[in-house]
Amino acid sequence: MDLYFWVFASMSVLAGLFTIAARDALPSAMGLLTVFIALASLYLHLHAPLLAIFQVAIYAGAILILIVFVMMLLMAPGERLSAIQANVSYRGSGALLGLCLIGLVAVGTKGVSNIVSMKGVPEGFGNPSMFGDLFFRDFLLHFEVVSVLLLVALIGGIYLCKKKL
Amino acid sequence: MDDWLIAIIKVVCIWVWVLLIAVVMTWVERRGAGLIQDRPGPNRAGPWGLFQPLADGIKLFTKEEIIPTKARKILYILGPLLFSLPAFSAYAVVPFGDKIILGGKEIILQVSDVNIGFLFILAIGSMGVYGVILGGWGSTNKYSILGGLRSTAQMVSYEVPLGLALLAIVFVYGTFSLRDISLAQQGTFLGFLPNWGIFKQPLGFILFIVAAYAEANRVPFDLPEAESEIVSGYHTEYGSMRLGLYLFGEYVNLVTISGVIVALYFGSWHMPYIDLGAYLGPISWGIVSFCIFFLKVSFFLWMFVWVRWTLPRFRYDQVMGLGWRGLIPLALFNIFITALFIQLTV
Repeated sequence: MDLYFWVFASMSVLAGLFTIAARDALPSAMGLLTVFIALASLYLHLHAPLLAIFQVAIYAGAILILIVFVMMLLMAPGERLSAIQANVSYRGSGALLGLCLIGLVAVGTKGVSNIVSMKGVPEGFGNPSMFGDLFFRDFLLHFEVVSVLLLVALIGGIYLCKKKL
Repeated sequence: MDDWLIAIIKVVCIWVWVLLIAVVMTWVERRGAGLIQDRPGPNRAGPWGLFQPLADGIKLFTKEEIIPTKARKILYILGPLLFSLPAFSAYAVVPFGDKIILGGKEIILQVSDVNIGFLFILAIGSMGVYGVILGGWGSTNKYSILGGLRSTAQMVSYEVPLGLALLAIVFVYGTFSLRDISLAQQGTFLGFLPNWGIFKQPLGFILFIVAAYAEANRVPFDLPEAESEIVSGYHTEYGSMRLGLYLFGEYVNLVTISGVIVALYFGSWHMPYIDLGAYLGPISWGIVSFCIFFLKVSFFLWMFVWVRWTLPRFRYDQVMGLGWRGLIPLALFNIFITALFIQLTV
């Protein structure tokens, strides 16, 4: 039993539950922040400090701040989320997406039971230079395809923002 | 056991040291304001008013703690804590000197030399904004909410040029570790220029310092607490030591930012042209390197004060325009030039 893992794993699950159950928008966002930080701690435990830092800097430091920004623009303080939470179509689509995600995780964990013993961590694992090697040598094509995808999303975002479509 | 002891001593010493500088900075700020505006500034408590921070501390600690009736209690209390905790922990990866050899044991003057270096500072630094948001939202005051809102927008906009400027530094030095970058800045290049980051990344330095001022909510980017528009922004409803944590966290942030600027762009503990480490013994070099580093840091701390009492505040749309239309294209251009230069020379 790994105490460190259990502490942060249960923390992320509990905070995740709080995120979807909270009645207020900002506490819900803080729940999400806790999830991110707990996940980053788990990455640290798995000898992946760079991934942990990216998790905090990008997800907690940029994406969640954007979400909070929109929240503060659109909601008055004291406004409850119950109207949104009671909406059946939101609940249905949320459940559908959640099921898809669980399916993906199930596919991803296929074969995990075949792992008999833990291999040692290779030398320099999780170093920034190792990431660079993986991205720009071993998986260059995948990396470029993802960057094109992001570019398409960016152009789409700008297109949708135009006053006259 | 020894390593643990050394680590604990380093953590405690540097923590106390940073807090001490932050305390003195509150005095420097007001005396500096007096100097620049041609008036004495606080000069009653102790010689040159040096005990003023002490008097302020006593005042903040002994004031009645008030939580506004309409405030969200948990958010309101969490705000200052979430703001000051990241500020207090960010200095961990910034060096404060070269190294000391004590009893044959080499001690680097840095709490932790991790190979992800300033990425840690970026990540921790971006956490501070949650304190501002929680404080602003939890106060249930329209000025506070406006302050929090401005803070989020500013933080998101200026983190991009900050990160891109740092990326160019990584291109030049090939590492994220602040200690390795510091070590690489010894000696000269082109025959006469010191091997400092500012000479290799002049544009990057300007981008970094502008973005860092914005991230620290300092004038001319102190929109989240613009007192002529929104009273005092996110901490309008705060008093006693809760307010103190906000104000104090800001000064601790200044110390960290100055340390990063010195370590990345101004040769860390190196003197230009002279390698003092070759002439001094291991212990005295440790102390001297700490002093050199601290002198450079003090200059940048003074610059924060200097800028604050010299420049007026930006208008809100000017802040956003500068960030998105000025700094980000420049930062991308800087990265492009740096990459091209490295590609052609290496």
